[in-house]
Amino acid sequence: MSYLPSGVYHEYYRQDHAWWQTRFILAKMILLGLIIFYVIPFWSGLYIIGVATLIIYTAMGALGVQLLIGYCGQVTLGHAAFLAVGAYTSTLLILQLHVPYLLSVLIAGIVAGLWSVLFGLPSAKVKGFYLIMTSLAAQFVTVDFILTQYVSQIGGRGQAFSLPPGSISIGPIVLDDDVKVYFLGAILMVLLTMGVVNLLRSRVGRAWIAIRDNDIAAETMGINIVRYKLLAFFVGGFIGGIAGAYWVSTLAALSPEHFPWFWSLWLVGVILIGGVGSIHGVFFGSLFMVLILEGLKFAIMPLIPYYPELSMKFLFLKEAAFGLSICLFLIYEPNGLAYRWWQIKNYFNLWPFSY
Amino acid sequence: MKRKLVVFLAVISVVLLGLGGAAWAQAKGEVRVGSLNDTTGATSDVGKDYALGIAEAVAYVNDTGGINGKRIKLFQYDYGYRIPEAITTYKRFRDFDKVVAVLGWGTGDTEALSPTITKDKIPYVSASYSAHLTDPKKTPYNLFFTSDYSSNARAAITAWFDHVWKKDPAYKERRDKGEKPRFQCFYMFASPYASAPIKAIKDQAAILGFEVGQDQDVSLTALDTKSQVLAAKSFMPDLVWHGNTTMSVATALKDAQALGLGAHHIVNNWGFDENLPRLAGAAAEGVMGAAVCAFFGVKTPLMPKIMEYAKKINPGVPAEKRLIRTVQAWGAVLILADAMRVADKAGELNGPGIVKALETFRNKELGLGSGLFNLTSTDHRPTSGVPIYRIEKGKFSLVEIVDLRKRWPEKWDKEWLGW
Repeated sequence: MSYLPSGVYHEYYRQDHAWWQTRFILAKMILLGLIIFYVIPFWSGLYIIGVATLIIYTAMGALGVQLLIGYCGQVTLGHAAFLAVGAYTSTLLILQLHVPYLLSVLIAGIVAGLWSVLFGLPSAKVKGFYLIMTSLAAQFVTVDFILTQYVSQIGGRGQAFSLPPGSISIGPIVLDDDVKVYFLGAILMVLLTMGVVNLLRSRVGRAWIAIRDNDIAAETMGINIVRYKLLAFFVGGFIGGIAGAYWVSTLAALSPEHFPWFWSLWLVGVILIGGVGSIHGVFFGSLFMVLILEGLKFAIMPLIPYYPELSMKFLFLKEAAFGLSICLFLIYEPNGLAYRWWQIKNYFNLWPFSY
Repeated sequence: MKRKLVVFLAVISVVLLGLGGAAWAQAKGEVRVGSLNDTTGATSDVGKDYALGIAEAVAYVNDTGGINGKRIKLFQYDYGYRIPEAITTYKRFRDFDKVVAVLGWGTGDTEALSPTITKDKIPYVSASYSAHLTDPKKTPYNLFFTSDYSSNARAAITAWFDHVWKKDPAYKERRDKGEKPRFQCFYMFASPYASAPIKAIKDQAAILGFEVGQDQDVSLTALDTKSQVLAAKSFMPDLVWHGNTTMSVATALKDAQALGLGAHHIVNNWGFDENLPRLAGAAAEGVMGAAVCAFFGVKTPLMPKIMEYAKKINPGVPAEKRLIRTVQAWGAVLILADAMRVADKAGELNGPGIVKALETFRNKELGLGSGLFNLTSTDHRPTSGVPIYRIEKGKFSLVEIVDLRKRWPEKWDKEWLGW
């Protein structure tokens, strides 16, 4: 085994599908783990941790969208609904039944997954634009109708729920500062990512990819497409539910306004920019979307005292920039940032004989 | 291929440089204040003017001596009413800009951040006047300068009851028969701002003896409310409460007129400004609403300054386009600045010090036409008097300043705190 993956030839499937194919990759992963679990939480300051937490939350939401759109080809524009279901399930379990937080996260995932299956049922009959319409219905039926009109009434607390301090805890550890919340997010994110990657290299993942590439061909090959589509909806919704339940711990507050339709669109934007059909893409997209907005703050805030109009006139550009960046990515980088990353990696892996 | 790669790496490095290298030295003798505003999102119809007002009021405070000689350094940012962005911006204020207080915006960000700011002990003077924030036992660091939404709602329905239902000859027959006036609410259920005072206004409706119909869900960004108006028509309300912001309220008023709903309208303060008669035209005639301070340009002790600074700092926005929101922004800045001066003199210019200073203010007049400011350590409702205005020929005329504490002293003191 060499240190660089170039020139590695596999003899068995087991090798081809291994997690760590060379020591070099293993070392890279250990480095990444060090950054995530040591450098960011202990060396970077609370602001960076806050931003990292938002990136994790965005990536968790986008991971479910990636699975549905990027791997199973089921376009969804209503994923925020499943985040909301997860968030509300977890909150209500904690507030009403005093269920431990971690258990509530798990139940939230399952409830959101089942809820997602309900809205995935039309995928047995319709696809493409018509499926997008039903996913839109998921957003509006769930968030604007069921959650606001009925679920928010439970307990008589009014629209905005807030969790009393100390109610979000894992065993003896109370999640009351940003570092602990970040750690929880990082651990959940790693587990979810490993789970999804594992699924994707299994029979289930191959079935999903077959359905994405051509559902009729997949069916002729003996794949029960309804079952696998619904399974994709379940897993996507499950991840969304976990993301929503995690969101509760970052704020200890919840209202339907946290899950607007815009957020569903945002998550699709994340994977379009990051790269459809790539787990890397989820992370690159989330990094891009969050860091661009934070970067804009750094660019603009020091200038405002000198050009006060920036705070009023320039900011419309921010909304436009979001749309424009998606358009530009679709035109010039249709495979997203993940593809670019892959190219960079290959350039170095194959250097100096990159032909 | 290679050139593309170079360009790509250059872009990435510029972004990273912007992130890392933009730290700037903290100057001595300045007080750092963050401001979260919505100038592009769902509430930007009222948020833009408020954001302008914040910058102007801070300039005024700095020109008149600042905080005992220290200048306020304002960090103002738009978050587009997206909660996740409000969170990271707040964390930036807290951990990077190191602000002592935050001027917040809507109920969405305020209630979402409430547990966090309580934990961090950072005063959060918001433009959300939700009564949920007035109980210092639960939310000691959530502050605002004027009457809360629930008081606005109670005052508006009371004013209509006293001035229209009891006096208008059109209702004489029904009054004599002992009929109850019929009342209904139009607001966005999903919006914590719009739904905050609903429980209170229904309670007040019960006290005054109204018959309450089913709520109608109207989006904050609604461009068509015909289905809601038609649904309301079957109930035939005499009075409709509009709990949204101006644009949505104007749409509902126009549709109500077009479809002949035949009801009177009362509006919460964020739906009641100079733009309402402009947008709704004749449909806004006779509409009553709560205004938490003077309208832009109306004579109050500080108004000449407000107009002067509006012209000076933002010359591009003509005076006739400015709104009451500017005055509200001044209220938030002035009350915070006054509290910071007191806290600074006591040598504790920090979160707890600022709140302690605010809680010493008794019957404070801000010069903005708002009620007298009172805050105690057990009650964070700044004022009990709510000015109710009516639109007559496109102009606002004061109907009454409804003082809820005077009318219902028992209930005000014991029952109504915190919702």
